[in-house]
Amino acid sequence: MNTSTSAKPIEILLVEDNPGDLDLMLEALDENKLFINLTVATDGEEAMDVLYHQGKHLNDPIPDLILLDLNLPKKDGREVLAEIKAHEILRRIPVVVFTTSSAESDILKAYDLNANCYITKPVGLQQFLEVVKSINNFWLTVVKLPRVD
Amino acid sequence: MLLTIARDLTERRRADEQIKHVIADLSRSNEELQLFAYIASHDLQEPLRMVANYMELLARRYQEQLDERANKYITYAVDGATRMQEMIEALLTYSRVGIQGKPLEPVELEKVLEAVLQNLRITISEANAEITFGALPVAMADRGQLIQLFQNLIANALKFHGEEAPNVHIAAELEGAEWQIAVSDNGIGIDTRHAERIFVMFQRLHSRRDYPGTGIGLAICKKIVERHGGRIWVETRSGKGSTFYFTLPTGGDKTV
Repeated sequence: MNTSTSAKPIEILLVEDNPGDLDLMLEALDENKLFINLTVATDGEEAMDVLYHQGKHLNDPIPDLILLDLNLPKKDGREVLAEIKAHEILRRIPVVVFTTSSAESDILKAYDLNANCYITKPVGLQQFLEVVKSINNFWLTVVKLPRVD
Repeated sequence: MLLTIARDLTERRRADEQIKHVIADLSRSNEELQLFAYIASHDLQEPLRMVANYMELLARRYQEQLDERANKYITYAVDGATRMQEMIEALLTYSRVGIQGKPLEPVELEKVLEAVLQNLRITISEANAEITFGALPVAMADRGQLIQLFQNLIANALKFHGEEAPNVHIAAELEGAEWQIAVSDNGIGIDTRHAERIFVMFQRLHSRRDYPGTGIGLAICKKIVERHGGRIWVETRSGKGSTFYFTLPTGGDKTV
């Protein structure tokens, strides 16, 4: 998809604690054939470590896009979102909330915390693949992403 | 004499206290129940998604290597997961009636029906149905929930149609301090033995093959009507159509 000659992969940070969803995501991304470099954090604290280059994530790249689950161990997805959006530089990174919940309260809360969009994980496999595909189409090809260094 | 009055007062105070306690207990258990339904249905979605998605993925990736029987088993598992998902969604919708209800305000029922007919226009034209209504009043209600109520009743009338094209009529009448609304159809009707059961959650009178659905529609109708302080019932005979009645508070204005 990336047409520039010095093709750099698109960096995605996926914050997801459920290994089943993680594998599904890998399957879905695999079908999309995009040039993506995926970093995975399995809880909120690890997500912040990636973003702050801490712990075992010293050399991880700053992501172009963050896919964030809400219900996470240790640091909750809402806290992660609040922290990112309060940070002078990190707040530029688009955060796509990708969660099981379709509760009105969760949706409002996420947008109040300046989530860039909110998506409920669909149930069927086909729908799941479609949704990941449209996330990719929109955020990785249509949208002009900010440079965050 | 004075002593008797004093004793009466003490007793009354005690009785008042007791009533207050019972009300507090009831509303607490009610809130807990609503919260339970809400949280349970959200937390249940996650594992269910795993079952459904991985069954489908199994079929997608390994269909060629599996025999016919294995593929049939996968179909059953996916079907079960899909149905459970529908029931959880239904449970969520049901619990939302209590949690996300808006305060009652004067609502023009005619406007409500116009919205419902707009929402159902494709179903109505596909069924070749005729829907008519007489003069309708203003009632004290939650507009969104009234739309849901009428929509469920009319959609049911269309779904359970007889041999002729469906004909649905909506009428209102003043009964004491309430509006009594009637939604009548010429559909297949219901055996009177089941007239109460149909308002219970997930109760179905037909096989899913004949009439798909979770069996939540009328339970939601009942919950909405009861939230408005009204009652809902049906008068029907098998093969003779049905009339669903429900009552709504008038809110002072009694002109139709």
